[in-house]
Amino acid sequence: MTSTTATRSLPAQLAVRFGIAATLAVSGVIHAYLYIDGGYRYIPTVGSGFLVQASVFCALAVLVLAGAPTLYSWAAGALSVGALIAFALSRTIGLLGFTERGWSPSPYAALSVIAEALTVILVAALVLAKRRGVKK
Amino acid sequence: MSSQRDPNGMTRRQLMRHSAWFGSAVVLTVVGGEVISHIAGSTGTTKQQAGPTLRFVQISDSHIGFNGPANPHVADTFTHAINQVNSLDYTPDFVIHTGDLTHLSTPQQFDQVKQMLTGLKTPHVFTVPGEHDSTDDAGQKYRAAFGAGTRGDGWYSFDVAGVHVIALVNGLHMQKLGHLGTDQLDFIEKDVAGLSSDTPIIVFSHIPLFAMYPDWGWGTDDATQALSYLRRFSSVTCLNGHVHQLFSKTEGNVTFHTGTTTAYPLPHPGDGPAPKPVTLPAGALHDALGIREVSYTKGQQALALKEQNLQ
Repeated sequence: MTSTTATRSLPAQLAVRFGIAATLAVSGVIHAYLYIDGGYRYIPTVGSGFLVQASVFCALAVLVLAGAPTLYSWAAGALSVGALIAFALSRTIGLLGFTERGWSPSPYAALSVIAEALTVILVAALVLAKRRGVKK
Repeated sequence: MSSQRDPNGMTRRQLMRHSAWFGSAVVLTVVGGEVISHIAGSTGTTKQQAGPTLRFVQISDSHIGFNGPANPHVADTFTHAINQVNSLDYTPDFVIHTGDLTHLSTPQQFDQVKQMLTGLKTPHVFTVPGEHDSTDDAGQKYRAAFGAGTRGDGWYSFDVAGVHVIALVNGLHMQKLGHLGTDQLDFIEKDVAGLSSDTPIIVFSHIPLFAMYPDWGWGTDDATQALSYLRRFSSVTCLNGHVHQLFSKTEGNVTFHTGTTTAYPLPHPGDGPAPKPVTLPAGALHDALGIREVSYTKGQQALALKEQNLQ
């Protein structure tokens, strides 16, 4: 029974891993685009933050896709939560002196939020699956 | 050999595997960052080859005449800022002062600040008044000192290096918020009517043209109307003072950048009941004061900003 369950869960785990890699890549590429062509690189501090976010998320996407230990998926989830918090701050009290309104720049803001939220959901699913596996 | 355990229970093979993954993470991140920076740099090839088309400096809120514990030596810190502008490795095309040149708009304070501004090594100095420059006369003394060639309450525009610059006055008739008024709104509409939509626009004013913190008057009640005339332009950059702190914000094609002061800091929005001067610990004041370098390169959408603390 255990081996059958493990065999059945393997495609699901692979799908989750590919999903995490894809959503990380989407968020990273969007931030890279906004940094390169969206004018964000000229915004003090936050501009550098976009560069770091883009490079870290793209690197994590490659590593997760290549089968890195689960720790890297957890890191991806934590960083995505951080990115979502930063987005929320920029729409409310400001982030390092930077604020924006609503879903501007459209459609990139909405797409990156969706990608990061999906990363968090997929990582949470991965963590739950691991816990269930440990209990069994 | 490879399965030898260390005291924490990790085999050498596991340790090597973790190191390899971590090393890959670091290398990929650095390489990714380099690639993105390189692409970003190559999109600004013109800048690297020909240098910026336009370079200017923003200074703001010198409050000459202020004498309080937050900064008992505002003339000294303003002189410091002027010297810092003069020590740049290039001559700025112009310097803008975004208002509150004086603290109480007395003739002596206007004389002093005007005299001090002549020390700037730049071909042009442009100013707009703040509410401290019009405490008792709706800006008459300001216009007598700085209003040559301006219209209305002191607004004007000019073109330089393919950029259209608009100087607005929103601190003279403020009730709770800054106010532009019908005449000035008409001026803006007509002023930009003949411009091509790809003309970069720079707007400078004293009070923010966005609602930064309306409870403290940090906004302009009729700015939406003014900005509606600028929506069709691909790049609009609004620079302001008044709030004595750095803050940036984008709304579609418009980017707002508030500048810091050369006099004294104010609290962050909502910190305390009112925007009273903040007295910092000894030695920390210069970090809150500064100047801003602004450059524009033809072909690029956004202006590049570089903030400098008073050193």
